[in-house]
Amino acid sequence: MSPIHHLEEETLISLLQKKDQRAFNYLYDHYAGALYGIVIRIVSIKEYADEVIQDVFVKIWRYIDSFDAARGKLYTWIINIARNSAIDYVKSKSVQNEQKNQSLPDIVDVKEKHNFSVSTQVDHIGFKNVLNELRAEWRELIEMAYYEGYTQQEIAEKLNIPLGTIKTRTRGALLELKRILKEYE
Amino acid sequence: MGLASEEEVSILMCIRKHNTEVEQAILEAEMTFEDLATSQAMSPPPELKAAIWNKISSQETTNSSPLEPQVEDSAVIHELPSSATEKPIRSLASRNWAIAASILLVASIGANIFYHNQSINDQDILVQALVENQSTQQELQHFQEKWKLLQDPVIKTVTLAGVEQHPQLKAHVFWNTKTTDVYLSLENLPAAPKGKQYQLWAMVDGKPVDAGVFPLGKTDQVTIMHQIPKAQAFAITLETIGGNPTPDLTQLYVMGNT
Repeated sequence: MSPIHHLEEETLISLLQKKDQRAFNYLYDHYAGALYGIVIRIVSIKEYADEVIQDVFVKIWRYIDSFDAARGKLYTWIINIARNSAIDYVKSKSVQNEQKNQSLPDIVDVKEKHNFSVSTQVDHIGFKNVLNELRAEWRELIEMAYYEGYTQQEIAEKLNIPLGTIKTRTRGALLELKRILKEYE
Repeated sequence: MGLASEEEVSILMCIRKHNTEVEQAILEAEMTFEDLATSQAMSPPPELKAAIWNKISSQETTNSSPLEPQVEDSAVIHELPSSATEKPIRSLASRNWAIAASILLVASIGANIFYHNQSINDQDILVQALVENQSTQQELQHFQEKWKLLQDPVIKTVTLAGVEQHPQLKAHVFWNTKTTDVYLSLENLPAAPKGKQYQLWAMVDGKPVDAGVFPLGKTDQVTIMHQIPKAQAFAITLETIGGNPTPDLTQLYVMGNT
């Protein structure tokens, strides 16, 4: 089997559905970096990320038949699989920690732990964080919603800010993020 | 992410289908996150690729034919040999639904944000239009008042022209010779600086007579001043707030003979 250098999304999907190993190679070579970048930002610790990313590809492989091109692009679909897997992983880890450490029931605040480890672990690895270019209030929102899986309602309650403000800020944050990403291209 | 019900999902799909703006907003949000993922990519450890493939193919080798997608389901069944055949299939389907629902929930949040912003924008525009309408109405009223004065035959219009230092300035005094009422319209005089106020004077036999100060912040209105029975000229000076008993002639802005 010769390696494939460029594939249309449609072709890639149909090859994936046929369980063609070349499709796996292509998918991995083109998207593993992006997915790993998402996962490591959510789980914060490299060993965890290595575990989750395997699970992500297994899921993509297993559920590719349920992917519906009419509902969005393959890239968005696999990004969501990566996000959800990583968020679920963090949640289950924090539940485990809670069970282990009954004396500290309030330690569930995943966010605090998360932020702590982001600054110590991840920045140490030295990846660029595009989100750092966002205003603090906007970055916080994107991080909570995108990397920690909070709903807007939950964010509003956590930050004690009206839901309407959260929605407006999220929109602002998205637009700004879009602009920043344009500059990167 | 929580789950959206099947009904919610179909509602969203319907909205997406029939509203290109919502569709556009969702696509844009998706693209932003795709770009974000791309820009923040990090290479996983190189050995992982082979490890993942091994995992995938070891799950597949339990099937006789890896090319049949249905056989995938039976891989799950193999792992749970004791349970009934239907159960794992249902759980697989529900997991698929969970993934699909999560994606759609993200999309629906995007739609929410879009709609919410749209409505905020609409409200802003509405308020703006109302304010504009109100101020236009007021302006119209002021013009009508002025027009009425101008048309009244007993009203004498005195144009006060800018003095040497202020040649472009202009004001009008509408003087009702019958009732001795005096109306003042500041026309193009600039807003009075802080702590100052315009004061109207009637020149009666060479002496300035106080005809009242012009109210602050109402420069676009015609204002009724003190009654003046007799005057050869009118003049406006800039005085300290509240007005002065005698005019500060160095601060003379406009004047005109009756």
